Amino acid sequence: MAIEDSSEVTVRPELNRTRATSLVSDALTAVIPGLRAGELDERQELYADLGMDSLRFVRLLVELESKLGVNLDDEDLMTIDLVNVADLIDLVERISPPPAK
Amino acid sequence: MAAMARDALLPTHWFNILHDRPQYVASAVSRSQLSGKMKCTKHALQLQQPFSLARQSLNTTDRFIPIPEEILDLYAQYRPTPLRRAVRLEERLGANARIYYKYEGANLTGSHKLNTALAQAYYYSRAGVKRIVTGTAAGQWGTALAYACQLMNLGCTVFMVRSTLRQKPIRGEMMRLFGAEVHESPSDLTEVGRRVLKEDPAAIGTQAVANAEALELAGEDRQSRFAVGSGENSVLLHQTVIGQEAISQMAALDDFPDCVIASMGAGSNFGGIALPLLGAAEDAGRPIRLVAVESTACPKLTRGRYMYDLSDALGTTPITKVYSLGSGYVPPPVYAGGLRHHSAGPLASAMHADGTVEAMAIDQLTSFRAGMLFCQTESILPAPESAHAVAGMIDVVSRHTRGEAPLVVLVNISGHGLLDLGAYSRFAAGDIEAVTVDEASLSRSLSSLEEFNQSISAEPAGAR
Repeated sequence: MAIEDSSEVTVRPELNRTRATSLVSDALTAVIPGLRAGELDERQELYADLGMDSLRFVRLLVELESKLGVNLDDEDLMTIDLVNVADLIDLVERISPPPAK
Repeated sequence: MAAMARDALLPTHWFNILHDRPQYVASAVSRSQLSGKMKCTKHALQLQQPFSLARQSLNTTDRFIPIPEEILDLYAQYRPTPLRRAVRLEERLGANARIYYKYEGANLTGSHKLNTALAQAYYYSRAGVKRIVTGTAAGQWGTALAYACQLMNLGCTVFMVRSTLRQKPIRGEMMRLFGAEVHESPSDLTEVGRRVLKEDPAAIGTQAVANAEALELAGEDRQSRFAVGSGENSVLLHQTVIGQEAISQMAALDDFPDCVIASMGAGSNFGGIALPLLGAAEDAGRPIRLVAVESTACPKLTRGRYMYDLSDALGTTPITKVYSLGSGYVPPPVYAGGLRHHSAGPLASAMHADGTVEAMAIDQLTSFRAGMLFCQTESILPAPESAHAVAGMIDVVSRHTRGEAPLVVLVNISGHGLLDLGAYSRFAAGDIEAVTVDEASLSRSLSSLEEFNQSISAEPAGAR
């Protein structure tokens, strides 16, 4: 997992959040057929509202790994416990590599 | 620790058929397409399996996936496994064939299951998991996983199908020797086990229930996770060391098989030998027959439906499209416990659906006869599961007419039968019957499977 270093303090946090939200939206629409990006809401639950399941979740992670250009770490992912879209965006924020300077 | 010297024949990569045939990635239904109690009641998403393994099951980009050094060092302790020509068996059969076999029973745990147990224990350990919980039918997977967990300092809990644990309690003793906790399934430790016992206190158990018990127990402890010994693409991937070695070993003898034969439980020993041979045959532009041999007591490929079905009794794991007799089907208690799973895995199923894999069902009396013949001629006592492969091979060879060029066959002897001596003794005493399906039970189970598939709704438009 990328550890944020001090050089990142200059990056406005809302920019990371916007980028993470957009990545999550793209990845979700790629793995859930028929889902339109405009319909997404951070409070929507992944299981109950979006019909996510473990196989789709793994596909989502593979998708995010490719979009982020990172190798997701087994140990980091084993401890996650995601309920809604906001949790997923938080996860992407945590695993995103620092933006290029 | 000094690394074990590695034989040049030991593959350094696993062969990934999904690169050549991406259509074999499992097709699954979403929980949102199910109704009633099958709808997912879970709240939070967690990974049950290390992401590395899940990624392997979906990988369509790499034809070869490097085997981590730590696993290679462990493979080097017992691989490459022997490949031999069964000359005395050929003579006894009067076969117009060159019969080769690959023998996976020579490691401590006695079967091919160690190939994936070591890999899985490595990935689970690296992911910070402290204990692996699993279900096992014949006990070969449970034994291999118990041993692998001990090597990786992981706890191990095994639910073993009651009928097989009672047939061969020494399998349970072997797992305990390696530090595993072993429970007879159905057990009173889990809700699903208690439910099955309430319906029938004498229930003989199935792999689907054993896996459901393991999943339930794993879900109660954050540091525990469930693992599975067959069916998943990643498991078949780990087994491809078998077929890759066989290609090199046969090449050294200037030969290549026309036909590859292995028994079919959920598909791991079959896939392990067949997938690399399929890849090599396609590279060479030559045809190859792949024959899966199942038990007449559990004939999922020859009599099942290619439909969406549960793999465990609770439907916790993904609901994938497979050849199945229905997850509620309870096969009669044959000695080849490893062939009693109600469905083939998604990959083996897809290969049968598109005609890449042929299937045949063999009864246990015929298979014990073949196993004894193999023992008498080749000095190896095959496990009851592997004896089905031998019987299938004899069937294939016997149909090959004398005027043609000799048929070159390769059969996978996936494990030894030294813990099945009781069954072989019963066979020798004339006390083994040819067991087939319970037609009434099968008919009910297939009806339930069809109803379940009819109840699956069309894919919803994302959020509802």
